[in-house]
Amino acid sequence: MKRTFVNWLVVPIVLTVTGFQIVSAAEPAESPVATDDLHRQHPMQQREDHNTHQMSLEPSGSVMNSNTSELPRDCAEISGKQAFTVYASVEFAADYPGTTFGMSQHEYFVEPCSLVTVTFVNKDQVRHQWMVHGLPKYLYKQGMFNLEAAGGFSQTGSFIVPSDDRTYLVHCDVPQHMEKGMKGQLKVGRGNGDLWSVPGVSEGLYRDSYTTRYGDVWLAMSMAAGVALVFVLYGVWGRANQ
Amino acid sequence: MRVRWLFLIALLGALLFMPPTWLPEPVRLQLAQWVGAGEYRRPPASVRVRDLDSEVPCPEDLLGWRDAQRIEGVDIRRAATCIADNPYVVAAVVRGTNNVSSATLIASGLTPDAVEKGRDLDGDGDPDEIHIRLEVVELNGSSAELANPVMQFSIAPGIQPGFWVFAPKTFGMATENFESPRARTILRLPSPAIRVEQGDKILITLENSHYMPHTIHFHGVDHPFLDADGEGNDGVPITSEIPVMPGSARTYNLEPRQAGTMFYHCHVQPHVHVMMGLQGLFIVEENRPNNWLQTLNIGAGQVRVPSQAVRESFDREYDLQYLDIDKELNEIVQRYNDPRLIIEQMHRRYDVTDAKSDYFTLNGRSFPYTFRESLVIVKPDERIKLRVVNGGSSGIALHSHGHKVTVTHFDGIAVQPAARITRDVVWIASAQRVDLALETTNDGLHSYGSGVWLLHDHQPKGVTTDGIGPGGNLSAIVYEQFLADNGWPNTSGVSFAPYFSEAYYKKEIPVWQSYDPTGLLTAAGTDSWALIRLVGAGVFLGSLAAALVLMLWRKRGNRAK
Repeated sequence: MKRTFVNWLVVPIVLTVTGFQIVSAAEPAESPVATDDLHRQHPMQQREDHNTHQMSLEPSGSVMNSNTSELPRDCAEISGKQAFTVYASVEFAADYPGTTFGMSQHEYFVEPCSLVTVTFVNKDQVRHQWMVHGLPKYLYKQGMFNLEAAGGFSQTGSFIVPSDDRTYLVHCDVPQHMEKGMKGQLKVGRGNGDLWSVPGVSEGLYRDSYTTRYGDVWLAMSMAAGVALVFVLYGVWGRANQ
Repeated sequence: MRVRWLFLIALLGALLFMPPTWLPEPVRLQLAQWVGAGEYRRPPASVRVRDLDSEVPCPEDLLGWRDAQRIEGVDIRRAATCIADNPYVVAAVVRGTNNVSSATLIASGLTPDAVEKGRDLDGDGDPDEIHIRLEVVELNGSSAELANPVMQFSIAPGIQPGFWVFAPKTFGMATENFESPRARTILRLPSPAIRVEQGDKILITLENSHYMPHTIHFHGVDHPFLDADGEGNDGVPITSEIPVMPGSARTYNLEPRQAGTMFYHCHVQPHVHVMMGLQGLFIVEENRPNNWLQTLNIGAGQVRVPSQAVRESFDREYDLQYLDIDKELNEIVQRYNDPRLIIEQMHRRYDVTDAKSDYFTLNGRSFPYTFRESLVIVKPDERIKLRVVNGGSSGIALHSHGHKVTVTHFDGIAVQPAARITRDVVWIASAQRVDLALETTNDGLHSYGSGVWLLHDHQPKGVTTDGIGPGGNLSAIVYEQFLADNGWPNTSGVSFAPYFSEAYYKKEIPVWQSYDPTGLLTAAGTDSWALIRLVGAGVFLGSLAAALVLMLWRKRGNRAK
């Protein structure tokens, strides 16, 4: 629907040249549970698997899958401790035109096997999340770590990252918040590429066109100009050769 | 010289390949006089369009959500339809999300402050302080990294227009899980039906989690123009208040003195926002002792915990919300990601005076999905209350097969018993509510007996999905003896398989293919010979044009010399 002619032309090229590694980084660390036939036939309730593990719900929000001691299998010990304080507020959206919701930080660099502690301060009056995907599922149910702060509240939690160089998705999963600005990436070690459409970091795969109003007219006129140019040059060249 | 030959060959070829139907009728008749009518050419045989990849009509209820059950001391009625609401949501909103166990709350997906219930102010055994928190959720919206919509919600197989809905405050992931693009069941069209009790002190907080400004206007519900703090309470930007901006919240105050079936909707650019789905039923129930209400009815439909007043006079209660959709409007949020572009397209380029509806929904679904969850299930000799709102852009002519219903209330106000009319087509204007009493007494008037009786808008477009029928808001009144154990109606008509395939609503399947063994009424194949001939004629006509241009060009060149 939003794929224009130009997109059809450009997307395969971009994918071929740069995209595969970037796209693969967006996949979770463990391969997703295969969606079997049963699930396809039972599309409604049965596929819902909402984490209920290590969590208490409060009006101020919740912390899901916080972990300060259990090591990933590939880590012998906690290599170090890193702490971030992240603010969520619509005021941060102003730095990135075309977004509505914002986070104070979109990129995080941590050492392999480190203990990461995040304090998530929500300065808006609506719910926000600082959610990481792709962590090992044997430690974090659904491979997920989530700080969920109700409007005006903050939440703090920790998790231990595995040893391999990977890029993890950080986002707010409130509908449209990631799409409208609340997307980030957490790089363990050197990471393995950038995710798409992280504000200030990477471009969207389907970037909006900001030439829509007269785009077609401009294209038609410039094509006509191109044709005219060839005729003029041909004429000049022809006369020069006579 | 050679160009002239080319011209002649092209002319001859074009004449030879030209389909005879292109010739003027007198010429053809004259030719037939001379050489007789053309020889019989066998038209292409009927073809069967590829086999259907159909969804299962009635998914199995693995979690037992349909069963009658008792959760947190709340007796939840059985949902006879094949897909039912999450009973933990029902229990949590009856008791109050602040009064239930953590396990119930987690199973419901609601936050502890989603529906808070406080003190019993009149001492009649039920809470009278109610605080509801609503967010705004976009379904089938866009993202900068996926071609397909995100937070998917299908109204029919393969049909996913963009929607905005008021949604209860939830926690965790908004989709079924990280691998699924589908919205979880609690986040859906329509916005939930809200039920409160007459005289309750109600706070409704709009936590605007969406990227556009919104408000809530309580249409027909008794509320002061200004709240206790002197702030606007009517939800109308031009008279009452600055809209709630993205990331902000506002609390509305209500203490309704009159009971009745009312409405709520966003009042920001309402000609667009209401049609995007920001609307729901708002029901004020009569005050009764021990009146624990199901404050939210997710997706409308059957009320599994009816109020005391409804229990006094009716055996069952259903909330029915009709909405029609112009896909050109609802696609805008899928074509752009930048809110500024969406706002421009929606509020300046889109012209509602040129709008024309394509999809017609009942409780957020079109046929055949309506048969999964929006059937009106009955038994003989019952009285059923239907609360109907038309949230759409034009009226609906609601028609019940096999029954004549009685209009008991218009816009929440009771019709005097002597003036009540019983009929089988009820006209419902935009934003209008009617309360209908459906009686299943087999007297040839109120009911013609048990069966699977359609219930639908009788305007032709209303029973289609973008012009394909059967579709739209088709539902049915189904007697339990005609219901299979899994909640699917035992129909004796045609197979539903085509209707559960995306291809059918993409207009790819001949409408009668599934029950036409003769093949006389299915699709005709392609006439390859005629196609070749057409292509040949095209090639020669093209050559003819090129030869003409070349000839003119040369002529001019000769003259210049």
